[in-house]
Amino acid sequence: MGGLHGVSTRRAAVTLAAGSGGRAFGIKCKCIVMADAGKASKQNQSKTFQCKNLHDYLKTLPASTLDRLYNHPTTCLAVYRELPEIGRHYVIRILFVEQPVPQAVVASWLSQENSKEHNEVTKVLKELQVWQEAPIPGGLPGWILNPIFKKNCRMALLGGGRANCIQSQLDADSKPRDIPFLDQYATERWECVLHYMVGSQQQEGISADAVRLLLHARLMKRDEEDGSPVITREGFQFLLMDTAQQVWHFILQYLDTVQEHNLDLVECLTFLFQLSFSTLGKDYSTQGMSEAMLKFLQHLREFGLVYQRKRKGGRFYPTRLALNIAAGQTSAPGDIERVGYIVVETNYRVYAYTDSNLQVALVALFCEMMYRFPNLAVGILTRDSVRQALRSGITAEQMINFLRLHAHPRMVANGPPVLPPTVVDQIKLWENERDRFNFSEGVLYSQFLSQQDFQVLRDHAQDQGVLIWQNERQRTMVVTKGGHDDVKRFWKRYNRGND
Amino acid sequence: MAEEVETSLMVIVVDLHTRQRYLRQQPSQLVHVLDSIMTLANMHLMLKTKNKVAIVACNAARSDFIYCDSDAIQPQPIQGQSGNTVQKQSDGQYEVFAHLETMVKQNTRKFTLDEKSTFFDDRDGESLIAGALTLAMCYINRINREKPTGEKLNSRLLIVTGCAGGASQHMAYMNVFFTAQKQNIVLDVCSLDYELGLLQQGCDITGGLFLKIPQLQGLLQYLLWVFLPEPPIRKKLVLPPPARVDYRAACFCHRNLIDIGFVCSICLSIFCKFSPICTTCNTVFKPPTSLVPKKKKKPNKGVC
Repeated sequence: MGGLHGVSTRRAAVTLAAGSGGRAFGIKCKCIVMADAGKASKQNQSKTFQCKNLHDYLKTLPASTLDRLYNHPTTCLAVYRELPEIGRHYVIRILFVEQPVPQAVVASWLSQENSKEHNEVTKVLKELQVWQEAPIPGGLPGWILNPIFKKNCRMALLGGGRANCIQSQLDADSKPRDIPFLDQYATERWECVLHYMVGSQQQEGISADAVRLLLHARLMKRDEEDGSPVITREGFQFLLMDTAQQVWHFILQYLDTVQEHNLDLVECLTFLFQLSFSTLGKDYSTQGMSEAMLKFLQHLREFGLVYQRKRKGGRFYPTRLALNIAAGQTSAPGDIERVGYIVVETNYRVYAYTDSNLQVALVALFCEMMYRFPNLAVGILTRDSVRQALRSGITAEQMINFLRLHAHPRMVANGPPVLPPTVVDQIKLWENERDRFNFSEGVLYSQFLSQQDFQVLRDHAQDQGVLIWQNERQRTMVVTKGGHDDVKRFWKRYNRGND
Repeated sequence: MAEEVETSLMVIVVDLHTRQRYLRQQPSQLVHVLDSIMTLANMHLMLKTKNKVAIVACNAARSDFIYCDSDAIQPQPIQGQSGNTVQKQSDGQYEVFAHLETMVKQNTRKFTLDEKSTFFDDRDGESLIAGALTLAMCYINRINREKPTGEKLNSRLLIVTGCAGGASQHMAYMNVFFTAQKQNIVLDVCSLDYELGLLQQGCDITGGLFLKIPQLQGLLQYLLWVFLPEPPIRKKLVLPPPARVDYRAACFCHRNLIDIGFVCSICLSIFCKFSPICTTCNTVFKPPTSLVPKKKKKPNKGVC
């Protein structure tokens, strides 16, 4: 199957690119895509969608937005925690220093053999506008912390300034909600969204806004026949992520659309960060929040990030989902305590102790389901079922992560490794089976008039290191796209010399 | 996702003995030291979401927690108990940090005004750092047992003290050091005044750092530069090189550091002069007069 897949791609590429070829100088050259039996190529993986972490996201924001974001202590705290570990120490070391610190001095903080790490860290700090280049009096280049960042970071740490816009309630709630209740509420709300995605029976309680968001995120698409949303390939991958990642991805997509809701991006982000640094199980007041933020709050409420008893109740409780936002892709702190339900045996059987349709549906994405009992579903991992999943864009890594994440406590207790290594290896092997082709774009040179011409050009291409493939008997060769110009120029020169 | 979830626990032992030089000279400096320590604790919490911190105070009379997990922020007031709930936030400080500061201040006041502390203060006793360390290690042990499966706990101890001695608690210290070594707990010492030989040994044994700070004003910067980075990170950073550690032991009779002495064959207690009865385990020895050349000489190495 893998072979067929590769060949057909090649053929498609050739026919597509044939128009751009030419016969300018005796030989014929055209752009093609070479399919080559080899290791998995990067291009292949680009279809699996990436969940950006906070750092990647912030990088995409313009500097002025970042500066506005840093105006709030909580954002600084969130950004600070996203920095690489060494970077965090750099920031601390110069947090209380008023003048610029020479770059050479900063470099000397890390021992010689880690200079590469140092360079990476400085780059990240610069990208996020955490520090800026500034000359010190002697003329040497120095680093100075972004003054806004510095001020607010200190404020978060030591106090001062004015209070956050979300404030804790002064009078006690008459019916306080405890943490288990909030966890349950958050899980319920979030699973409601997931249930909707897999199209299982429970479909109530999801608003048009949420559906629009799912469509926008390309997790679902309109069915061509009846226009009802159906789950996409990305949607399946989304389902296999852990909850914290799902929430973060979802929030990112939401932030993309805030403009449409007439909300301010910076305001929303700041509020999110404040939420993520609030205390679980505590109620906060909606007092002093703007109209726009109240609207935002309602959206968050819908996905279970905050709990509100009444819309106009004047108080809300953040849930664990909200607290995990800033953690992003990094291992979620205090993810909702959920008991794993999956047992994987070395004979490739997968037992899912659950009665939830959603969870069974997720396992069924890459397992062949065999039996269904009231509290147990049994499936088996087969080559076909895994390849089916791989075809729909789910990677082996995602499947393994999913199994590991939801492993039954018994499996965890037996571990590590949590999963039987044979099963893990086999899933990876099945994935590798499909990646036997390496696609590289190139230009095909053919119809040389003499063997000598061909050899000269081939040898030149080889010397330049741009030759991908050649066949002496057919007098054809393929060079990389980047090398095409150079080889073409050489050929022209060579021809002129011969004439 | 395969990466382990690591929690880093830092237990800070603060010496609140009133005989420390800086306190005798200017008692108000206690505020400065406490502020620095609280900021260090907050910085540690700031580094990672999962980081934990506990603070133990000790003086000549007792040692007790002034901040631990039971002091941690509680969302709702528990019946009949107030104080752990968060106050209304009046400034931009992160709730958890503000809470830590209030709790530490409150508990320090309680600790110093405690009857036992005030009663013993006049006496010339040493600060019970070894006791505080033991308390801290028990705490670490408990946290370690309570952690969810599959998580890793890196724990370390930091002592901030301006006291000199420590010889009277020699045995207790050594027990703590070797237990810490066995439990992979790193012991750091920040000395405000003296070169502490015994604690230097402890740092050396557990792979921690010892630093005698040149001036009290810059305490916070020293704490942040040297003691905030976690042991794995320290390898990458350039930090003050370890000083040569004095491994001489203190004799049990006069607390003198000795190169050569008498060692009890039963309990390994060290004496600078011969004594017919071991004061630690009451073993009776023959007087060495009969075998003059065969004095029980032993280099102090490996003695503990």
